[in-house]
Amino acid sequence: MAEGSVLMHEDEQHENVPAFEFVNVNSTEFHIGTFRDLWLEVLNPEVYSHCATAPEVEDVEFIEEMGIEPKTLEELKHICGADSLKRGHEDPDSLPSDPHLSTLKLRKRRQDYKETLTRDTLDRHEVYANELEMISVGKKPESPGDLIPEGEMVLTFNIMYPVLFQRFKRVRAFQTVHVLGSQRLTELRDAICCVSDLQVFGEFSSTPDMVPQFISKDHYKSAFFFFNGTFFNDTRFPECRDISETTREWARSRGFPHFRTAKMEDASFYDLRMKVGFPYYYTHQGDCEHVLILTDIRLVHQDDCLDVKLYPLITHKHRVVTRKCSVCHLYISRWITSSDALAPTDPCLFCDQCFRMFHYDDEGNKLGDFLAYAYVDPGTFN
Amino acid sequence: MEHFREPVKTDCEELLARFQATESVRYEQFLEIWRDMNFSSIYYGKPEPSERRRFARLILSVVSPYFFPPYTFQIRVGGLFLLYGLFNSQLVTPREKIRVSLKDWKDVMQFQRDAVNAQHYDVVYIFRKLLTDKAFYFTAMPIPLFYREKKEDGRKMKICEEFVDPSSRPQELVTTDMLEEIANIHEHYEGLKKSVFAEPDPNLDLIQKNLVPKLNGAILTYSNWQWNRTESEQQDDEEGPSNQESSRRAQLLASIKSRSYGQAVEASKSRRHRQTQLVPAAEAEFSLKVTPKKKRKPSLKTRTQYRFNTQGNESEGLNVTRVWCMSAVKEEKAPEKRKKKFNWNPEKSSDPT
Ligand SMILES: [Zn+2]
Ligand SMILES: [Zn+2]
Repeated sequence: MAEGSVLMHEDEQHENVPAFEFVNVNSTEFHIGTFRDLWLEVLNPEVYSHCATAPEVEDVEFIEEMGIEPKTLEELKHICGADSLKRGHEDPDSLPSDPHLSTLKLRKRRQDYKETLTRDTLDRHEVYANELEMISVGKKPESPGDLIPEGEMVLTFNIMYPVLFQRFKRVRAFQTVHVLGSQRLTELRDAICCVSDLQVFGEFSSTPDMVPQFISKDHYKSAFFFFNGTFFNDTRFPECRDISETTREWARSRGFPHFRTAKMEDASFYDLRMKVGFPYYYTHQGDCEHVLILTDIRLVHQDDCLDVKLYPLITHKHRVVTRKCSVCHLYISRWITSSDALAPTDPCLFCDQCFRMFHYDDEGNKLGDFLAYAYVDPGTFN
Repeated sequence: MEHFREPVKTDCEELLARFQATESVRYEQFLEIWRDMNFSSIYYGKPEPSERRRFARLILSVVSPYFFPPYTFQIRVGGLFLLYGLFNSQLVTPREKIRVSLKDWKDVMQFQRDAVNAQHYDVVYIFRKLLTDKAFYFTAMPIPLFYREKKEDGRKMKICEEFVDPSSRPQELVTTDMLEEIANIHEHYEGLKKSVFAEPDPNLDLIQKNLVPKLNGAILTYSNWQWNRTESEQQDDEEGPSNQESSRRAQLLASIKSRSYGQAVEASKSRRHRQTQLVPAAEAEFSLKVTPKKKRKPSLKTRTQYRFNTQGNESEGLNVTRVWCMSAVKEEKAPEKRKKKFNWNPEKSSDPT
C-alpha cells in the first residue's frame, strides 16, 4: 500500500480500531465494515483462508525471508516440533497422584470431592448447550455457492429474554446467535425466538380446531432494533407500522437529541457503527423488549460452520422448565382455561389430548361452560 | 471455570519466571522447563461435559497478554512459546483458538520484525507455525464482552511487574533525534547571537556552551545507575527466598488477611524482636500482591496479627498459632460440618466480607 493513502486514512483507521471504552466492559464505537477492511489490509490472505497452505511453499518462503540454509530449517523443525511437548505416554484422563501445578492441585481436590457425591452430577442442560454449539462446527455446505467467503466477519449476539415471566427474574435467560457481517438486520430479527411471537389471541372454546393459523408473528409484524441512535424498523410487510414513533415522539417532546430511523431490511451489519459489549434494544409485539449485546466480532475461521444457509446460527438457548398438563402431568400444555367447572384450578393448563377428552363429546360438541385460550409454553423452543 | 483462573496464572507465571531466569529466548530452553514441569498435564483429568473446551479457552486467554507489551521481549517470547505449547497440547477438537485484536496486531508484527532482525529463527518459526496452523481468531477485542464487570477483574488483569522492563522515561525523552534537534537549535541560537553582537557578550552566556554533550552524559549516567541498581536488587533477591516461596508467602498473607479481623494478641518480647527484620519486606509484598486495589496500609491490628502468624508458622508450631488465633481453629472445623459444598478457595474461605 502506498504511503500517501495510509496517511490519508489515518484518522479513519484510528477511530475504527476498537479499543476499550471501559476496561473489560465495552469497546469504543466503530464502523464494522471499515473495521473488517482494516483487518483484511494487514493480513496475508493465506492466514484467513479456508484451506491450508502447502507446506513446501511455506518452507521456501521461510528460507528466503530469513536468508537461511534449508538445513537450518530442518533443524528448526526438529527442535520446535509439537511432538516433544508431551512427556511419554500418559493417560490424559488421569491426574498425577502428587501434582506440582496449582491448576492440577485444584482439579484433583475438585475431582476427589466429586467422587464423594452419590448423585449423578452430569448436567443435562450443559451437555445440551455444548451440543448445540458443537453441532455446526466445521460444517461445509453441500453446494459450493453457499460457502461463506473468506474474510467474512462473524458477529455474536446475546439476546436477553425480557422479564415476561416472573420465574425468569433471577436467571438471565438468553440466546446466542452468530450472524454474518453481510447479513441484513432482518435476518437476525427472524432468528430471535421469543414466545410472545407465538401468542395466540382470542377465545377458542367453541372452535378448538381453528387455532394454529393465528399466531402473533403473522399478525403483528412490526419490530425495531435500536442501535446507536437509530431506530431500524422492519418495513417488509404492508401491515408493518413504525412502532418506534411513540418513543421518538416522547423523546422529541423532552428535548432529547433527534433519533434517526432506517429500514431494517436495507441495512447490513457492515453498515453499522457499534460498540462491542454494549447493550442495544430489540422491540417487537408492541412492547416485548429484549436487550441485545454484541459480545464478539471476528473473521470467519475455517473451523466455523461455513454454510451460509445455516446463518444466523443459534449456538445457545436458555432452557426452560416446561409446564406440564395438570391432568396427565406428561405432555406440554397447549390450552389454558378459565371459568371452567371441570378444572381443578382456575386458570388451568391442559395438553391437547386431555383438553379435548374433558371438554368435548365424541362428536366434538362443547360440554359445559368455560373459556379456552391457546397456551404457548416458554419451553416450546427447547 | 473462573475458579481456575488464579491457579492457571500461578502456573504460567512460574514457567515464565523460570524462562526469564535462563536469560535466553531459545525454544530449547523453554521446552526443557515445559517438560520438567510436565506442563502438558495441565489439561489432564477426568472431564465433565464441555469442561475441557472451556478450560482451553480460559488458559489461552490467561496466557495471551504475556505475548504483548508492556512485557519485555524475552517474556513475550516466553508467552509465544507458551501459547504454542498450550495450543498444541489441548485435548479438544477442533482446537480452541488464540484471540488477537486488531489493536494488538501491530505489536505482533513489530515483534516479528524484531525477532527476524535479531535472527531468532526459532521464535519466527514458532510464530509462523501458529499462523499456518490457523491458531488465531482475528477479533475486535481481546476477550468477548458481556457488559458485566466482575469485581475481581482488576486483580486478575494485573500486570506481573517482574516481567516488565524498569521504566526509562528519561531515556525515552532524550533520543538521538531529539539530541540532534537540540544541537541544531543551539547552533542556530549561537549563530544569531554572533550576528547581533560583533563582540561576544558574557551577559548573554545564559546557556551552557556544551549543552548537548552534557545532556547526553547525564542520561548515560542515570541509565548506568539504574542498571546497576537493578542488578544489585536482583542479586539481593537471589539471596532471599525463592520465587516459589514468596508466592507461597503471598498466599499465606492472603489467608491471614481474611482471618485477621478478630482479636489482638500480645507477642512475647523475644519473638517481637526476632520479627523486626522480616516484617517490612513482607509487608511490601502484602500490599503489592494481596491487596493491589487498596493503597491503604493494613491496619496496625492486621500487621500485628500478621507478625504472629508468620511467627507461628516459622516456629513450626501449628499449636502456637491456634493458641491465639481462635478463628483459625473454627475455620478448619467448619468444612467438616458443611461437607456437601465444595470449597473453591480454602485459604480465603473465612473472609468476613
Ligand atoms: Zn420478545
Ligand atoms: Zn394431559
